[in-house]
Amino acid sequence: MREQPDIIIPDSVTMPRAEVRTTANGVKIYRLDANEFEVVRFTLVFRAGSSMQHKSFAASATANMLGEGSTHLSAQQIADELDFYGSYFDVNIDRDYAYISFCSLKKFFEPTVAVAREIILHPAFPEHEFKIYCSKRKQSLTIERKKVDMQSRELFSEALFGKEHPYGKSSDEALYDELTTDDLRDIYRRLYTAENCFVACSGNIDEDILSQISALVEALPSGEKPSTSMPTPSTTHHLSRDVEGALQTSIRIGRLLFPRTHPDFVGMQVVAALLGGYFGSRLMQNLREANGYTYGVMAAMVNFDKEGYLAIATQVAKEHREDALREIYHEIERLRNETVDEYELQMVKNVMIGEILRILDGPFGIADVTIENIMCGMDNSATEESVTRIFAITADEVKALAEKYLKREDLIEVYAG
Amino acid sequence: MIHYKQRILKNGLTVLVNRDHASKLAAVNLLYKVGARNESEDRTGFAHLFEHLMFRGTHNVPEFDVPVQMACGENNAFTNNDYTNFYITLPKENLSTALWLESDRMANLNISEEACATEKQVVIEEFKQRYLNQPYGDEQPLLRGLAYTTHPYRWSTIGLTPDHIASATTEDVRAFYRLHYHPSRAILAISADLDEELMLDMAEEYFGDIEDNNLAIPAIAEEPAQSEPRRLEVEREVPATDITIAFHMGDRLSRDFFLGDLSSDLLAGGESSRLVNRLVKDKGLFSSVNAYITGSLDKGLFIIKGRLMPSTSEADAEAALWGELNDLKEGNITDYEMEKVKNKFEANMLMGEINIMNKALNLCFYAMTGDTDLVNREAEIYRSLTRDEVKAFAERCFTPNNSSTLIYRAK
Repeated sequence: MREQPDIIIPDSVTMPRAEVRTTANGVKIYRLDANEFEVVRFTLVFRAGSSMQHKSFAASATANMLGEGSTHLSAQQIADELDFYGSYFDVNIDRDYAYISFCSLKKFFEPTVAVAREIILHPAFPEHEFKIYCSKRKQSLTIERKKVDMQSRELFSEALFGKEHPYGKSSDEALYDELTTDDLRDIYRRLYTAENCFVACSGNIDEDILSQISALVEALPSGEKPSTSMPTPSTTHHLSRDVEGALQTSIRIGRLLFPRTHPDFVGMQVVAALLGGYFGSRLMQNLREANGYTYGVMAAMVNFDKEGYLAIATQVAKEHREDALREIYHEIERLRNETVDEYELQMVKNVMIGEILRILDGPFGIADVTIENIMCGMDNSATEESVTRIFAITADEVKALAEKYLKREDLIEVYAG
Repeated sequence: MIHYKQRILKNGLTVLVNRDHASKLAAVNLLYKVGARNESEDRTGFAHLFEHLMFRGTHNVPEFDVPVQMACGENNAFTNNDYTNFYITLPKENLSTALWLESDRMANLNISEEACATEKQVVIEEFKQRYLNQPYGDEQPLLRGLAYTTHPYRWSTIGLTPDHIASATTEDVRAFYRLHYHPSRAILAISADLDEELMLDMAEEYFGDIEDNNLAIPAIAEEPAQSEPRRLEVEREVPATDITIAFHMGDRLSRDFFLGDLSSDLLAGGESSRLVNRLVKDKGLFSSVNAYITGSLDKGLFIIKGRLMPSTSEADAEAALWGELNDLKEGNITDYEMEKVKNKFEANMLMGEINIMNKALNLCFYAMTGDTDLVNREAEIYRSLTRDEVKAFAERCFTPNNSSTLIYRAK
């Protein structure tokens, strides 16, 4: 057996800065050029997530129906045209934002952006496609809701924010029947505007490609900047649901804390990582490796635009629910009562740095992180500063954060199964 | 195009390296040529259980993950019917740490009673979480059992039953390690921005003196040709009925593989595909459809499936799936469609090559098939496929006597 090789830890992480330009109608385009690749991706980000909707499912239906037919092209023509060039069109939506991405080989950029114009600027929201979309979504939501994991996720949001809060609400799938294409047009008119958008592009972006993206964005209609104010969350400390026939129980524990812009956010990311942020984490070692209660357990800080929270999630054998809860609280108490040893803290830091390096390894990952930074009102120096903060945090600070934020009486507990 | 160099060490280990000029990371992939197809029918789920045990440490490194994590690395593994694959990505400065760890567990794994007991329990929970406690969880295992009567592809990687895992003894597990985990049964690939000769030398330094053995690997039972239609109907607590039809086809190195893959793309590759357009969007018969091939080393399956809308009858749904297969048999394929799926393949390939881990895995995979250079020839093979060949493939493959139909009915 050879000696263990020396380990070399990068002492900082550098992240390329995006070059910004503003179009005539005020939309910012962030460009991250990586000309060693033959691919191009651009993402339009609209503040059009589910918290912005007045009717259940309207925000996701609007985003997902963009590609289902336009004034000039049928759904079939749009799909054909993109598929023919091997290009991708991707829609993602979360509570705050809708992300519309196009990815193509550089040589097929022109036909791809032509279709993008149709999708972004001239969606038709045709009835036939809409009916099919709703019945498909209704069916898949019904299936998802049979899973204990989905049930506990919904219970957890409700416990954190309250049933009526835009971040806490989950709607009955029957409400798809009340949705109309007019609701989609209303969202499109209100939220898919120049005032409510920014764009990030990455890969092989030359001037010509950039000007074609600009031309698309300049054609966005103008509108008003929508209000993003949120009601105050109303927290419930315990919710549970018995699921007949379930073999496992899905558990979530956590609490509301603060969004990413808060000075303690990175510190709490370190605390969460120690607890359940990687394979060697305390909860993984305890629940999985030592006790075999579960296949996996995780803990993380989750960031929304106006809020942030800590979540611990696992799915355990039904008969081990109480054992698992006891051990989770035990590990939380240990963080509050014992100072973490330097070796373990160093390991967690290195895991977190490694994760950042992996995300930033490639043009699309860099673009994704850039988008997250922009949403928090920051530029890419924020990622470098997070890394500096992670390296600098001490064991005493970790203990102080756990003492302050992880008091048993402040935690929320839900389970289903 | 993935440029690579290869060296076969004296102990039989195949080493492949690729210089990536963009990444700051190194990807290390180690593939062992053992999967669920190497299990016996009363000891299923073993290859996968063993994958878990590979993380339980050695005398030198009691916890495998600790040095990986210290080196800013990430590692994981997966098992399928053909092989077991372990991978690490870390800053390229720490490449030697990854090689040190992988060579150590190839030679010195510590298989204790205690580790076995805990991992058995974890795997049984995984069995429940993924296959028993999940709507449609047992659908794939049922289909395998129907389509294969003899070949070990008739069970899934997780195994036939949690009982097989529960009854595994530590001695069984040690014998499995001796038989399958040694240099000539493994392939190592590295992708990083480092000199290729240097990477080959580093691999040799760490793996070169591990002893090989020449234990015979038991032969794998061949699947006899199917001669009549097979059908299984089950009822489950699920919201919608699924209909799946599987057909036997050729192995990974046959031209059938490419024809099957291309046919499945014509049928279900993307939003513009035939099944999505005709059966989901136009006729509204299904909420989702799919067509794919298993792509296994030994003779694999072509699978077509649909999840029914509540208003669709089973007979109509099944007839619609056959209608699409018959359309291919009649040769109703346009040049435009052929061009589309070929372009799509090329785009996917180029987009995949951005990622160093993909490259290292691909090198190992193709080396395992026995034709490493295929990694760079596939694009050209896809380009060469003709409409007539697809028609002939469809005629040969999509026949009732070659079909296994699973009706997974919502109660």
